[in-house]
Amino acid sequence: MSFEMWAEKYRPKHLSDMVNQKEIVERLKSFAKARNVPHCIFAGPPGTGKTTAALCLARDLYGDNYREHIMELNASDERGIDVVRETIKTFARSRSIGEIPFKIMILDEADNMTTDAQQALRRTMEKYTESCRFIMCANYSGKIIEPIQSRCAPFRFSFLPKEEHDKYVCQIATKEGVILLPDGLEAIFEVCGGDMRRAMNTLQSAASMNKPVDAKLVYAVTGRANPMEIQKMLVAAFNGDFLEARKQMRDMLQKHGVAGSDIVRQIHAELFKTKEIPETLKIKLVDFVAEIDFRLMEGADEEVQLSALLAKIVQAGFESKH
Amino acid sequence: MYTAWTSKYKPTSLREVVGNTAAITLFKEWVKSWDKGIPKQRAAFLYGPSGIGKTATVEALANDLKMEFVEKNASDYRTEEAINKFAGLASRYSSLFGVRRLILLDELDGLTGNADRGGIKAITDVVKNAQTPLVLIANNAYDSRFMTLRNYCLLIEFKKPTTAEVLGHLARLCTMEGIQAEENALKFIAHRSGGDVRSAVNDLQALAQGKKQLKYEDVSWLSYRDRQDTIFNVVRMAMYSRTCSAAKQAVDLADIDIDMLFEWVYENVPYHFTDPRDLAKATESLAMADLYRGKIRATQDWSFLRYVIDYMTAGVCMSRLYSKVGWVPFKFPTRIQSLSKSKAERMLQLSIGSKIKPKCHISAKRSLTEVLPFISIIFKTNPQKAAEIARWLDLTEEMISYLAGTEEKAKTIMGLLA
Repeated sequence: MSFEMWAEKYRPKHLSDMVNQKEIVERLKSFAKARNVPHCIFAGPPGTGKTTAALCLARDLYGDNYREHIMELNASDERGIDVVRETIKTFARSRSIGEIPFKIMILDEADNMTTDAQQALRRTMEKYTESCRFIMCANYSGKIIEPIQSRCAPFRFSFLPKEEHDKYVCQIATKEGVILLPDGLEAIFEVCGGDMRRAMNTLQSAASMNKPVDAKLVYAVTGRANPMEIQKMLVAAFNGDFLEARKQMRDMLQKHGVAGSDIVRQIHAELFKTKEIPETLKIKLVDFVAEIDFRLMEGADEEVQLSALLAKIVQAGFESKH
Repeated sequence: MYTAWTSKYKPTSLREVVGNTAAITLFKEWVKSWDKGIPKQRAAFLYGPSGIGKTATVEALANDLKMEFVEKNASDYRTEEAINKFAGLASRYSSLFGVRRLILLDELDGLTGNADRGGIKAITDVVKNAQTPLVLIANNAYDSRFMTLRNYCLLIEFKKPTTAEVLGHLARLCTMEGIQAEENALKFIAHRSGGDVRSAVNDLQALAQGKKQLKYEDVSWLSYRDRQDTIFNVVRMAMYSRTCSAAKQAVDLADIDIDMLFEWVYENVPYHFTDPRDLAKATESLAMADLYRGKIRATQDWSFLRYVIDYMTAGVCMSRLYSKVGWVPFKFPTRIQSLSKSKAERMLQLSIGSKIKPKCHISAKRSLTEVLPFISIIFKTNPQKAAEIARWLDLTEEMISYLAGTEEKAKTIMGLLA
């Protein structure tokens, strides 16, 4: 069998293979059984099974040749209005062959579509409902315009809870013959937070070292957003060196391509572990961490927002000493 | 002592003049033709934009041919009377000592208005009767004032040297000054000068004198040199005004767009708001401006712009409560620099992303943070697995080398693929 990244190799094939999002899966199964699917929005953080669920649904509906009845488009790469006018429309209005009278259009990362493109999509969705159903996958349903939301059945995906995450990761480690130590498993969950794609990739890249996978190894391979680096940045900020903290943050974003939301998530986790920051201040800072996280979801600039957060930490450090 | 490099390295021979080979040859032939008697055109009229070596050419030729060189410029020939004074010089073939003479009338464009009344006519008369080569220089020979004069002159056009020619010249100067310069840095100066060798040399001296090395970062801010004063003033207004309305005016006065002004303020705020309490307020204000900027991007509703302006100027200014005001130099927005530097790398990353995309059901862009980092770890640690991935994704050699990091590892992986 040819090589695949594990995230692909172990991507569930049928709805019944999916280990998580149980309520969602049950509803999707009922769609497959009834052989009818409404327009859907699958919203939730990355690596929680949105695309997988859409593909599984298609396979259960159409059988193994499901590819002939669906189209998968990625809005991050093809997000312009022209794509909606040309590609999507052409697919949507063509007749379906086979028993099921409609095809399925999977629009991945749909929240990255421009507002104009979404407006254009809305008409297409209405006009060709008979021949095409849309499944829109998005991290933030808030970025999808109201008229589309109101035409879709909403599904909220969430991160895998720790027990399910652990069970799944261990299963794959066993299948691949990887020695995964308990602290390694802890570390994977800490770094990936229930994002299964990330967990698979982390496990696979750690395993490529041909050593038992422990916490140290996991942090080493994910060194790009290593918690220790975050802690170093926090300590620099808390000790009043804003410029140094900003430089470290800039490096993480630009050189290592870490997502701003990942940095925020790790700051949140590290904040509580950093001994230098007094307990009363921690909870004050969380206020602001949450605010910044929210703003990033709104589409604000990662570096500018994180700078504001670092400056707040500098201020907290200053006030705790005066 | 300070010597301008433009005079320190002024060409002493035609060989050292940058560019304009054809024009220089034509000019040299014309001067030499005087050996065989007075040519039809008794004056050569060199014209072209400033700073490209017209005057330098004449001086270098006089030097090469060991001629006596007499130069007059705008201040010397304001009136007919003044011109008559040196007309005598031109009426004799050679000097007292038998050395041939070359007379240059530079900066003819400088003759204007009533004060120079009669000047051009007098020059025309001198040209008609010249017994020795006469050279005229102006930026534009086709100015209507020179209409009659033109008829008696050999017109020689000087063009801007190419960027490559300027680049070569700058590189020579660096060698002579013992400066190690990155080619990118010199290219940047050369390109920016638009063929004006003089300004390029001045720029080089200003940036490199006394240094051992010249890096791209040292010069890239130059692009703002011409407007640097206004930018500094505008940034100062945005950070130091006493009233909100004064701060907000910065936006109107800036001749850069609002995003660029934002970058300037964002980069410089920490250096000018040194008290942590002020800094937190100022950066938060910038973050709010950014939030509304994002709103504009998402909705195309430009009415949010007023809040962007309020926050990034007045909001920043009013954050100043405790910070001392001292003189701190302004810094160029470095975040933009580093973004553009890694552009080529980003393109390569994206092309790898487009290979990952169909295999992993993820956009090329997102794959850069979700998949690529992990693949690149495997490439650096496990050639066997790397080769399998390369085959699976159908990667090119360039992509493999990039992911592997070193030539050696890339070769091992490629070997396994073959």
